[in-house]
Amino acid sequence: MELLWFALFAVLLIGYFALEGFDLGVGLLLPLLGRTRERRDRMIAAMAPFVLANEVWLVAVAGTLAGVYPEVESRVIPGLYPLVMAALIAWIARDAGLWFRRRLDGAGWRAVWDAMITLGSLGLTVTWGLALYALATGFTAPPLHPFGLALAAAVTVACAFHGWTFLCWRAPGLTGTARTGRGLAISALGTAAPAIAVVAAGAARLLSGTTTPAALSVLSLVVLPLVPVLAAAQLWVWRTFGRDAGDRGLPSFF
Amino acid sequence: MTVLDLARLQFALTAGLHFLFVVLTLGLAPLVAILNTRWVRTGNPVHERMTRFWGQIYVINYALGIVTGLVMEFQIGLNWSGLIHYAGDVFGAPLAMETLVAFFLESTFLGLWIFGWHRLPRGLHLACIWLVALTAYASAFLIMLANSFLQQPVGVVDKGDRLELVDFGALLTNSTLVFSFPHVIAAGLVAGSFVMIGASAYGLRRHPGERELFTRSLRLGVVVAALGTTMTSGFGYAQFAGVQEGKFTGEGPAQVALGVMTLIGDNLILVALFVLLPLVRWLPRWRRLHPFLIALTPLPFIAAIAGWLARELGRQPWVIWQKLSVADALTPGLTPGMLIASSAAFTGVVGVLAIIDYLLIARVIRRGPTRLALGAGPEVPEPAPVPSL
Repeated sequence: MELLWFALFAVLLIGYFALEGFDLGVGLLLPLLGRTRERRDRMIAAMAPFVLANEVWLVAVAGTLAGVYPEVESRVIPGLYPLVMAALIAWIARDAGLWFRRRLDGAGWRAVWDAMITLGSLGLTVTWGLALYALATGFTAPPLHPFGLALAAAVTVACAFHGWTFLCWRAPGLTGTARTGRGLAISALGTAAPAIAVVAAGAARLLSGTTTPAALSVLSLVVLPLVPVLAAAQLWVWRTFGRDAGDRGLPSFF
Repeated sequence: MTVLDLARLQFALTAGLHFLFVVLTLGLAPLVAILNTRWVRTGNPVHERMTRFWGQIYVINYALGIVTGLVMEFQIGLNWSGLIHYAGDVFGAPLAMETLVAFFLESTFLGLWIFGWHRLPRGLHLACIWLVALTAYASAFLIMLANSFLQQPVGVVDKGDRLELVDFGALLTNSTLVFSFPHVIAAGLVAGSFVMIGASAYGLRRHPGERELFTRSLRLGVVVAALGTTMTSGFGYAQFAGVQEGKFTGEGPAQVALGVMTLIGDNLILVALFVLLPLVRWLPRWRRLHPFLIALTPLPFIAAIAGWLARELGRQPWVIWQKLSVADALTPGLTPGMLIASSAAFTGVVGVLAIIDYLLIARVIRRGPTRLALGAGPEVPEPAPVPSL
């Protein structure tokens, strides 16, 4: 049972980087590739149908920490206090940018929320890099250690590349280059590499740090039978909004 | 202010804001689903426009529900790790079920509903909004289950420095849960229906061309308000049978909040059952009553916040009733600086976004059901040359 939950936790964390990674990447590329309002709209429209289904993977990671690994949660989250706080603010800014940008028409209004999307995405990739370094060193290193900053830069670049690959896959007309699904999968794997490393490094602690057997069996009884439903819902999103659904002249809600 | 005061204030502000948005989400979700069903069954364009108009309000409100919910989820880990340490075995389980299953599916299906317009077959698109409503209710159930455990810790044994789960069934039948969950669900219907009533009354005055849409909306709102207020009061008073001993004795802030909620609740049920429902046929035409209907809109929200305050303040100084005090639930080693920074950041950012969100909802109501972004069809191509792809 511990092994099943470890596998689920690993899939959720790796999946978060593989999926939300390209949303953050598109946000990062917004000022670079989206010189005109029309191009920015098309970039956001390309990722918009996926965002709600992608960001929720991290919500599930946090929930799994609380339910399955409460001892790990009560050490890791406060241990990363300033970083978790910064990441949350960045996440909120990014989400608000997406939800609000098209609610009013003014150029100033759009510029503010588009900037929020970029700054929020940047804040998230940077704090993830710093947090991964802090996790790897057991919170002993200073928060702004050069290695941590290098990792933050690496995560940011990886996400930007993943976002670019995603745009090439879903809206090749926008980037001028086309990428196949396989190319997207490879860049997803690359973006998720730090998460794979963290899960592998923390495997022993996670496998031995589960909650009591009684609580775990209740959770297993409720959650595990529904995992195929979760997977099916996610697959439905990809089937509905796959590559050829991108440019049909439908105005995007985001 | 001590670290404890700051942490409590921070949580109270985020949780209170979260509840304001969530209570409307819970009420509007089934209303939008009903409208969407009518549209799919009849094909009547007015039902499509109703679905899009109330749907647009619903999703704008939803945005802040997500944002405040994220802050809540992580704030428990940041500031209240003592609670997770002491009771994570029990309290963490419903939180994990909520995030991993209920909210995971809710968010996925909401994305499919918002962006699936004109892409999914109508029947499947309709299924999405019902799945959103269903998973939202499941979320509410699991969160109320976790909250009820704090009110009355059942199904556990005390192992000294922590609680261990022995009987999950006892959590499901917790006497502080069985009536509070339907009470909250019904309170959501009251909030959703009074927003529908108030906004429709406003729409009838401001948009004479949309008479049919707002007449139908007003009538639906009145019927749901009658049902919702009756259920809220019924389950509300029934809760007192299961309330912890000594929770509402004396005269503190919890008792005041309880009084405010009961006063508003009793009056809303009188208005809904004995004024609005009997007059439902004529109400859309009686313009003189419309300002009164608009003025009622904030009342269910004030009552909801008062009810939440009564429930949570009545529990003090315990985070888990007679087991763990709020002071012991605090993360060890927090400094006032950390709390001041995080409180200012969270409440500042979320507070500003909440105000913007309410202004955007007000703008949708003021503009009426024209040029709605939700469910908009393909854009008519401009005659100007389009850049080649």
